[in-house]
Amino acid sequence: MKLNTDMTVNRITDEIWEIPTSEKPGMLVPARIYATRGILQAMDSGVFDQVTNVACLPGIRRYALCMPDGHWGYGFPIGGVAAFDVQDGVISPGGVGYDINCGMRLIRTDLTLADVQPHLEKLMTELFRKVPAGVGASGFVRLSREEFRRVMTHGARWCVERGYGWHRDLGRMEENGCIEGADPSIVTDHAIQRGINQLGTLGSGNHYLEVQVVSNERIFDPVTAAALGITGHDQIVVMVHCGSRGFGHQVASDYLKVFEKAMRRYCITVKDQQLACAPFRSPEGQDYFSAMNCAANTAFANRQAITHQIREAFTTVFGRSAEALGMELVYDVAHNIAKVERYAEGELVVHRKGATRAFGPGSPELPGAFRQTGQPVICGGSMETGSYLLVGTDRAVRDTFGSTMHGSGRTMSRAQAKRTVRGEQLQQQMKQRGILVKAVSMSGLAEEAGLAYKDISEVVESVDRAGIAKKVLELRPIGNIKG
Amino acid sequence: IEIFRQPKDGQFTEHAIHGPGGKLGSAAVPAFTVDLEALLFEWLSSMVYWKDAAGVVFREAPLTLTRDGEGWLLRARLIGAPVNHLTQELHADVKGVTKHLYDLKQTGGCWKVRVVLDV
Repeated sequence: MKLNTDMTVNRITDEIWEIPTSEKPGMLVPARIYATRGILQAMDSGVFDQVTNVACLPGIRRYALCMPDGHWGYGFPIGGVAAFDVQDGVISPGGVGYDINCGMRLIRTDLTLADVQPHLEKLMTELFRKVPAGVGASGFVRLSREEFRRVMTHGARWCVERGYGWHRDLGRMEENGCIEGADPSIVTDHAIQRGINQLGTLGSGNHYLEVQVVSNERIFDPVTAAALGITGHDQIVVMVHCGSRGFGHQVASDYLKVFEKAMRRYCITVKDQQLACAPFRSPEGQDYFSAMNCAANTAFANRQAITHQIREAFTTVFGRSAEALGMELVYDVAHNIAKVERYAEGELVVHRKGATRAFGPGSPELPGAFRQTGQPVICGGSMETGSYLLVGTDRAVRDTFGSTMHGSGRTMSRAQAKRTVRGEQLQQQMKQRGILVKAVSMSGLAEEAGLAYKDISEVVESVDRAGIAKKVLELRPIGNIKG
Repeated sequence: IEIFRQPKDGQFTEHAIHGPGGKLGSAAVPAFTVDLEALLFEWLSSMVYWKDAAGVVFREAPLTLTRDGEGWLLRARLIGAPVNHLTQELHADVKGVTKHLYDLKQTGGCWKVRVVLDV
């Protein structure tokens, strides 16, 4: 089998592939890649190099993992999952990503395509107006530094307490929209200054707000779908993909610098500067974990503030309250985060960089609403092809530290995408196909063309067949906002 | 020194820069270091930081880079305009400067740098 690597890659199953420790000096555990044969063969060389670099980090347990949407990242591959012992292992900002708690949110409605189609242009215009996107966008929430610190410690709860959302939204979010242990005192003034005006903004790049439709033919598990509030019949839902904005990026940058110096003190060497790390229990490690949680909580708050704006936009266009429209949150989940979780090996710091938590039914960490179904897993595809809703499984908890894919994964650089596609043309073509796109940047739009991404259906099949998530339904885009 | 003078993207009319606290003027970034690679990294990171902190896109970055004993002294200014989607053609939003594959070297008479930006 021809792969973009000279390393030996052994087949474990048709969806699980392993690189043994003999393939790179310093590997402490094997590397495992979850992918169909076709996806594996198309994976870029960076994936193989980076996942085996991760396998060399101190205190890593069992395997360094890469999900089928994996591709070249900074240090860790995108789609990377790695778990480290809390006592003798490390924490690495590169294993979380710059956009701390970049994640996904799905909101259901009682509306159907027939309700929305006649008003789609007006709806997308109103959403584009209400939810700032792109370079320099600032949010509708004006914060003092003191209030911003409260956002860091209270997360989405801060928004709900101020009327930007419903209390029941919190029960539909990973960690109820707030991770404990966030300490704003160890966040730099630089980070605060960079992020204080951005609450309630979408960002840019691959971040988006998408109006989608669920048809009966694309529901694979109607019982689970119904339990999650989605019954099909061309039902309209809204998906949001964004994170902690400039604040999270600055926290990541600040601590990469701290860790570069700290590694010398702890005699740690890494194969890539972006794998800079420190012992989890060290002062530096604990400070980063706390600062990361501050950023994670601002991301939960960001998506909550955006939800408030989305509900207001729908109310404006359809003349009914968001409650009357049934605009309940299905779920909100992170895909760039490090969490302390317990597995067979004990307490571990699980890093998910472009990977989603996927706890199965009965997991005690899940609220009652998901104990029957398993935790929702929201996977965004390209704006042209659609997205998926899956649920977590007990097998994921057993095999992949409760982790699964997060999206399509890129196959093409942004530069190449822009050479291949013109944004204005793409916008027109999508309109002809029934997808209305509003974008701040046309070159940014070109970079996000569908041909720059893997076929999400095949990525989903990989995890479904491997048993580390179960597909529930597919979501087709009809409107998209991009920064 | 040429690598510090690459032109920025975008075409803007020159306005006064208004930061969150009122008129910002222009951001001055004096820095001294013995490590030129680190200095360049900090300089690029400063641009990304000020873009977000002040809500500005930059048109010019006049600077001087001088040898000072064992180290280098950078004096620079960032001049630009508030972000305006209606009047400016905006491209990728640079969110961070990474150390991934980061490399600065002098070959022959010029400097070459490779830097990966997070967008």
